[in-house]
Amino acid sequence: MSERTLFIDGSRCIGCQACVQACAECDTHRGRPMIHLETIRRRDSVQTAPQVCMHCEDPICARVCPADAIKKTSDGVVQSSLKPRCIGCSNCVLACPFGVPKYFAEIDQMMKCDLCYDRTSVGKMPMCATVCPSGAITFATPEEIGRTRKGTPVNRWHFGREEVRTKVYAMAPPGRDLIQVTTGRTPTDRTDVAAMLEPESLLNRHL
Amino acid sequence: MMAKLPLPHATLVERFGPHPSHVPPGGWTAIGEPDRIVKTHCCFCGQQCGIQLKVKNERVVGFEPWEEFPFNRGKLCPKGVKRYMQDEHPDRLRSPLERVEGEGFREIPWDQALDRAAREIRRIQGAYGNDAFAVLSGSSLTNEKAYLMGKFARVVLRTANIDYNGRLCMVSAAAASKKVFGIDRSANPWSDIPKADVVLVAGANIGECAPITTDYLWEARERGAKLILLDPRMTPVARTVDLFIPVRPGGDIGVFNGMLHVMLERGWIDRKFIAERTSGWEEVEAAIRKYTPEYAGKIAGVPPKLIVKAAELWGPARTSFLLHSRGIEHHSKGVENCLAAINLVLATGRIGREGCGYAMITGQGNGQGGREHGQKCDQLPGARDIENPDHRRHVADVWGVSEASLPHKGLTYVEIIEAIHAGRIKGLFLICTNPLVSLPHRTFVREALERLEFFIAVDFFLSETAQHADVVLPGSLMEEDEGTTTNVEGRVILHRKAVEPPSGARVDWRIVCDLADRLGAGEKFRFRSPRDIFEELRLASKGGIADYHGITWEKIERMHGVFWPCPSPDHTGTPRLYEGGRFAHPDGKAHFHAVEWRPAAEEPDEEYPIILTTGRVVAHYLSGSQTRRIGGLVEQATQPTCEMHPRLAEKLGIGDGDFVRVESRRGALTVRAQVVTTIRPDTVFVPYHWPNDRAANNCTIRALDPVSRIPEYKVCAVRIRRVERPDDETASLPPEAGGVR
Amino acid sequence: MSEMASERRDRSGGLTDVANAFVWGSIAAGLLTAGIYFGSRGFKDFDTALIPYAGGSVLAAFGLGYRYAMWLRRPPTRLYWRRGWQTFLDPRRLAGNLVHLLGLFWRNFIAQSFIERRSPLRWAAHACLFWGCILAAAVTFPLSFGWIRFETPPNSQDSYIAYVFGVRLFEFPLDGIAAMLIFNVLVISAVLVLAGVFLALWRRVRDRGALAVQQFANDLVPLILLFAISITGLLLTVSARFLHGFHYGFLSQLHAATVILTLLYLPFGKFFHIFQRPAQLGFKFYRRAAAEGEPARCIRCGEIFGCGLHISDLKRVEAELGIRYELETGSHYQDVCPPCRRKNLALVQDRLWRDARQGE
Repeated sequence: MSERTLFIDGSRCIGCQACVQACAECDTHRGRPMIHLETIRRRDSVQTAPQVCMHCEDPICARVCPADAIKKTSDGVVQSSLKPRCIGCSNCVLACPFGVPKYFAEIDQMMKCDLCYDRTSVGKMPMCATVCPSGAITFATPEEIGRTRKGTPVNRWHFGREEVRTKVYAMAPPGRDLIQVTTGRTPTDRTDVAAMLEPESLLNRHL
Repeated sequence: MMAKLPLPHATLVERFGPHPSHVPPGGWTAIGEPDRIVKTHCCFCGQQCGIQLKVKNERVVGFEPWEEFPFNRGKLCPKGVKRYMQDEHPDRLRSPLERVEGEGFREIPWDQALDRAAREIRRIQGAYGNDAFAVLSGSSLTNEKAYLMGKFARVVLRTANIDYNGRLCMVSAAAASKKVFGIDRSANPWSDIPKADVVLVAGANIGECAPITTDYLWEARERGAKLILLDPRMTPVARTVDLFIPVRPGGDIGVFNGMLHVMLERGWIDRKFIAERTSGWEEVEAAIRKYTPEYAGKIAGVPPKLIVKAAELWGPARTSFLLHSRGIEHHSKGVENCLAAINLVLATGRIGREGCGYAMITGQGNGQGGREHGQKCDQLPGARDIENPDHRRHVADVWGVSEASLPHKGLTYVEIIEAIHAGRIKGLFLICTNPLVSLPHRTFVREALERLEFFIAVDFFLSETAQHADVVLPGSLMEEDEGTTTNVEGRVILHRKAVEPPSGARVDWRIVCDLADRLGAGEKFRFRSPRDIFEELRLASKGGIADYHGITWEKIERMHGVFWPCPSPDHTGTPRLYEGGRFAHPDGKAHFHAVEWRPAAEEPDEEYPIILTTGRVVAHYLSGSQTRRIGGLVEQATQPTCEMHPRLAEKLGIGDGDFVRVESRRGALTVRAQVVTTIRPDTVFVPYHWPNDRAANNCTIRALDPVSRIPEYKVCAVRIRRVERPDDETASLPPEAGGVR
Repeated sequence: MSEMASERRDRSGGLTDVANAFVWGSIAAGLLTAGIYFGSRGFKDFDTALIPYAGGSVLAAFGLGYRYAMWLRRPPTRLYWRRGWQTFLDPRRLAGNLVHLLGLFWRNFIAQSFIERRSPLRWAAHACLFWGCILAAAVTFPLSFGWIRFETPPNSQDSYIAYVFGVRLFEFPLDGIAAMLIFNVLVISAVLVLAGVFLALWRRVRDRGALAVQQFANDLVPLILLFAISITGLLLTVSARFLHGFHYGFLSQLHAATVILTLLYLPFGKFFHIFQRPAQLGFKFYRRAAAEGEPARCIRCGEIFGCGLHISDLKRVEAELGIRYELETGSHYQDVCPPCRRKNLALVQDRLWRDARQGE
């Protein structure tokens, strides 16, 4: 069986924050959640999305680190900055294409999701994926995902002309093998209940 | 003695909280291994997820997911994750308290507190009759404690007036289920949900109120199932379902009857099943004739096409699952709403098979078991009928009392409060419920509490209601005692003890037994442990509908829970009911009930033109007495807001984040507005977990369903205006105590 | 933890980087050798018994110079190194910078309060190790380089004279407190270091987080080396003072071996932070200066998310590293703030699903 990794499916997320609350229970950063849970635009939508570290194959955070403080383990996990080295410059926070690292001013250090190294390094699942009630965050083998999901796992991302490959996968509709990230006018997932109630608006996506 | 507050609310808050605890016992360090890990269950909500608590130095210091437990496989919601922070909470009551006017609460020894309680119970019952002393209990109690409360009321107090807060929660669903099937329980285990081709979710904010069920829905979708969801608000789950019907609060019957009308027209009903296995179809067929999509749409307040589409998804499906919850049940026609929904299941014959069924989502921790064992005013243990002579005799025999000595059916929860208000009930024993936050029409409840001659409250924190008590007895958390609960599926599970209650507090069942002893019935309460109580419960439920006779704690541990009915020791339980179309009525059939829509008790009018509907948020549990004390959860949902559509907000001149005053004929509250397009423009929503001027239940109406006696939390008429930031004393309290930020 | 990811790229710089680093390493070693030569007055004050230590130091200097140069070849490091010095030496700022430096020096080097906020136990362990090592280094390096020496005055057996770079500094009586402190300074530092090692180990064997991420070569070897140095040093003292030189020769060779091993380890493992860390001060000055300039606003939400100078410098670093964040629209992904990146990613993915659903 192949190795387990994280699969993120934003269409399942219900914004409950179980992942955030549980992340703070991880031993490598107890009391400080590393996962991000974004409420996209509450006025128009109830969409929410978790963002864990995607654990890039060639992490940009590590490349832009002047202190050489971000290391990847041999099993592909990008760790929090090394405490003796990190100078708290926030280069990684600003450069990460996924917006993952967090800078903590009081300890002058960057910390980030380390795939719950205390758990995954001994064969357990990361905290967020274990508790996530919606399956938006799942820790499984690609085979298990292939068996149980409609979508396709994708780990190739394009940010402009930069291609990033990640250890963590996102679930995309079948047939995709790349997620092209554009920042143009990506429309918010507008759901206006009033519009749904108008008899003429029957072409809305819920039909 | 009038049970008014002995001190201003703000002063009581200062001493008794809520004070959110932000740091677990022992701090956020990750030093050392726990001494032991206890497999138990979450106490917050009827899903009863398996969880493991880490114990170090006899304190609960953390949790670990319990992936082997089949219902939730390690999954938890934020409440489950942070539940362990209740242990060692600074607000915990550690001594019995006695109210002293102007001084607040004075700590007194246990003997003195129990003696006084017994004396007052005797005095009131002697002066006004047995029924003048009432018991209000809760559905977050274990089966053993629920059973004990019923026995205590009927054997010791011999009062008819015992009821429980499931009256505010599950009774509409329960009554409907009993009318149709003869049994009050979800018909299927949750493992049937992913096997359905279409799932209809009616009035259930699953993502927030039953988060663990979300994955079951998504699993069904991955298999290709279509999901239909009814809610006046676009809830998190509703965002990506196949068909979301933003139904007007109280208009659900329009959708159900309209769907059935279309299904009948198109031939999507199972005539053979209806003929062989059911009764009452003719009346239903006659009743739904006029529910054309147009007519139904008008009632439901949605375009007719949505109803047709729903029928097209539901009607021809091979397998299907119906889930409903408070959204259709909290109405003065709550039972009828459920009956109309269940008609959709019966008409297609899709029940009692794999992937075919129906379930109600219980809200409270022991929402299912809590209503089965005799703390409900009309029931005896085993879901037996208190007016059925055979049922009475069986239970009287188990208890060793005469059948004639058992009281008959008493008042329901809200009616008990009304009787207190009217001066007919003078004394109250209250455990595991907080009516001053959770009942509708809060000022009325407060007035009622203030008229009590003597009020005993058992609680682990001084809840808003317990602030009015004459004597407060410090009880225990779920993890400080052991016992069984019955989850949303009807699976009986075991809560294990992780730690002892703090010194000064006692386990709840011991408090009740001690009081029984002082009231002269000690020999009937010689229990040495919750297990002793469970053994007696097994006998009392034997042969009943909710038959636990074959369930043992060992079997529960071995099988990860046992589904009732389990009539004999060699029986392995009944995960799926009604297999082979065998229903529990004497005729073996399921009974259709024709339902006509009728308006809510209070529809909007010119003076109060907006519908207020209430509900929950994911970070809080019920009246918030526990979750408003947990830092992480308080941060996640700090204060209530009034959700309203921009169209309405614009009309009222209200901007996002403005303070608004929501007023009904009964009261008002001031909260911040949250302007969102995800709600119907004719409806606003306020969650109900907060007290004082932040209580949604200041506005809600004390209108009851004629059968279930559930209050109409989901519809009342309000008017709304923008106001300045409130600056009264309550407003300046911390938000978890009812202030504003 | 492997140095893989970034080291691989460092090496990819190729021969020129290596040659450059070799030059810098040689310069460092040369400078130290020269320092030893002149400091010991042409080896006149040099104690030949301490040759292995001095030799080890020269090798370590080469390693450190080499490693430092390699490190500075990384584009982000080079940029901030330059930017740090630029802002620090900026004549308009220099005075203020010097004052600020005092504060920084106190907070980051003396009090090390940022470590205390990570964990008080970690702080205590680090403080013991830090002061123990500083104290020991302050004595042993000058001694082995022949920069200081002690002599008894010709006319007295009761006192010592301390010479620094051959210059007579002061004379102190043998039975005074100063003598006791000076002769026992290595004992004191060894005890401090040992206490630090035990505190650090005590934390490392119990803290579940540390247990998960610590690695033998990186986190435990330094502690083992410090332990070995301190214990062999203490044994030398015990042997000389209480056991009439029992196995003194063997012990001194063992001690020398542990010291030299540690010196050679300096450029590679955790100890490199001793030399690397002060460079953070440069960044602190840069950040102060950058904060006074134009702020950077997110092109998606319009909110301020950083300093304009920092963002434009980061873009330069990214360009040097071959990170191609330029978007088709002509904008730059680096101008999107982190929260907007997360939201945008969610929307992009959600869009895929919506399109797919509509296609159904």
